Amino acid sequence: MPEMTRPLKSTTGNYSKLCEDINKYLDVLKRNVANIDSVLETLDPQMHALGVLAVLNAKYSAPASAGIDFETLFSQTQLFFTTCNGEQVRFATDNYAYLAHFFTQALVQKKQPIRGISTLLAALAKIQLHPGQLTSIHADICQLCLLSKNMKPALPLLDTDITDISQESGHFDATSFLCYYYYGGMIYAAQKNWNRSAYFFEVAITTPSMAVSHIVLEAYKKYILVSLILHGKVPNLPKYTSPVVSRFIKPLSQSYHELSNACASNSPAEVRVILDKHTEQFTNDKNMGLAKQVLASLYRKNIQRLTKTFLTLSLADIARRVHLNSPEEAEQYVQNMIEDGEIYASISKKDGMVSFHDNPEKYDNPEILRKIDDQLRECMALDEKLRSMEQEISVNTQFVQKSTGGRGEEEDVAFGSK
Amino acid sequence: MVYTMSPSGIPSPEVYAKLLTVYLLQNDLNNAKYLWKRIPAASKTAHPELGNIWSIGQHLWTRNFVAVYPLLTQDWSDEIKPLMVALRDAIRQRIFRLIGQAYTSIEAEQFASYAGLQVDEAIQAVVAEGWDYDSTSKVILPKRPVPSKAPPIPSEHHISQLTDFVTFLEN
Repeated sequence: MPEMTRPLKSTTGNYSKLCEDINKYLDVLKRNVANIDSVLETLDPQMHALGVLAVLNAKYSAPASAGIDFETLFSQTQLFFTTCNGEQVRFATDNYAYLAHFFTQALVQKKQPIRGISTLLAALAKIQLHPGQLTSIHADICQLCLLSKNMKPALPLLDTDITDISQESGHFDATSFLCYYYYGGMIYAAQKNWNRSAYFFEVAITTPSMAVSHIVLEAYKKYILVSLILHGKVPNLPKYTSPVVSRFIKPLSQSYHELSNACASNSPAEVRVILDKHTEQFTNDKNMGLAKQVLASLYRKNIQRLTKTFLTLSLADIARRVHLNSPEEAEQYVQNMIEDGEIYASISKKDGMVSFHDNPEKYDNPEILRKIDDQLRECMALDEKLRSMEQEISVNTQFVQKSTGGRGEEEDVAFGSK
Repeated sequence: MVYTMSPSGIPSPEVYAKLLTVYLLQNDLNNAKYLWKRIPAASKTAHPELGNIWSIGQHLWTRNFVAVYPLLTQDWSDEIKPLMVALRDAIRQRIFRLIGQAYTSIEAEQFASYAGLQVDEAIQAVVAEGWDYDSTSKVILPKRPVPSKAPPIPSEHHISQLTDFVTFLEN
């Protein structure tokens, strides 16, 4: 044991060398899992972050027969993530991410996902270079939030647009990327933020791929439902969507397309028929809740459509035209939609009429100016980001070699013409 | 740090009760619903107040305000009581805003049930709000709420913003 703790305790500056040394000792660590806690006691997460990381990973990968006490391991992991030396662990982003995955899996198995959220948020803050950087820990956090039905902690992450992916020493897996966008879409759907939700599912679907992935298939099904709730129809997927989606995934989600066709007819009765017909599939896919919301949103969409043709309409007429049971139900719908800002109208109970108005916004107040201002700033930031990314890629050796057809000597010419 | 308070991930029922009520107060029903779903069954049975709070949430979800008012005046614990008073005021304000936006005329009786008031109380309240009441047809004529004006931006600030934009567009 002493000779193996030596590299773990090294505090000299050469951390990448240290990482290699530690990786060589991993097998030894795994074999001696039973008395590994004594090693851990001699290490300090601030001084020997990489050593502690290796020991904890070894403990997680130990077989169940090793009899490791989970509560101890839980608090050891928590202590590590909250107090470790951020500078050192940057040299082992892959092992750092593994530890987060082990931690997540263990909590998921124990059915205590809520316990890990704050720890992983702290872990993420330590390893991220900037808030727009995606790591594989993102997907873990989203999974824990979904499973524990506690979505709020994930929202600040999801609200930040991703511009960069942490390489994690080449171990960043496409699964983490897809899962992040799939889980993120689900969290937004749970918060009824349909716009963001549809966007997240779209990113998952349009990720370049050569084969059908289950994550993409499920994301596609949810994308259809969320789009129906949001727009009342499914928009065409962008051109860069890989052909796999239309060739293999569309045929696999037939019942969802039937639902979308039924919605196109604007008839709640037809949508209900499809919902009844495919109840089993929707329930098995755990999409029944979303599917039901498609029906509810259809009534609202139909009322919205009325405002385009009519200036005034009686509550009884509204009820008849959108197939509601009574004027009272129509009144409730119109009232809710006015409160949610989905239509501009006023009800007069004197004569039972509803008058529809145009958007009362006159675009002449400081509030609108502030909104435009914010959006302009966003565009400016985006432009700057694009510029710097463009610059980064144009000095990338691989890119330059590819784009000049491997004719190295012409590189200078290519740059000159830019 | 929050997790040091409840390392097991399960706080006391009192914490749940407060959080649930505050979600209702913020009208954040989505998160209230998920909170209700994640409260362990044991806490719910040990602390029946939680269920009582959530039954208010359920009626708010369907916007059945009429059913909410009688539930608000239950015998709440000392910690929840002030929150419930605040919730009642918040709902009433919301009703005034909603009715003002959505109706040009509404039966006094219907309005009173929405606001959880007796009819004559409701009439007094709307007159105080500056709305009209037609006593012959027993109809309240609400006035549209005037959107609050945001303070204008000082012009120096404005000019510097415009300069920023122009320099950006020129490049």
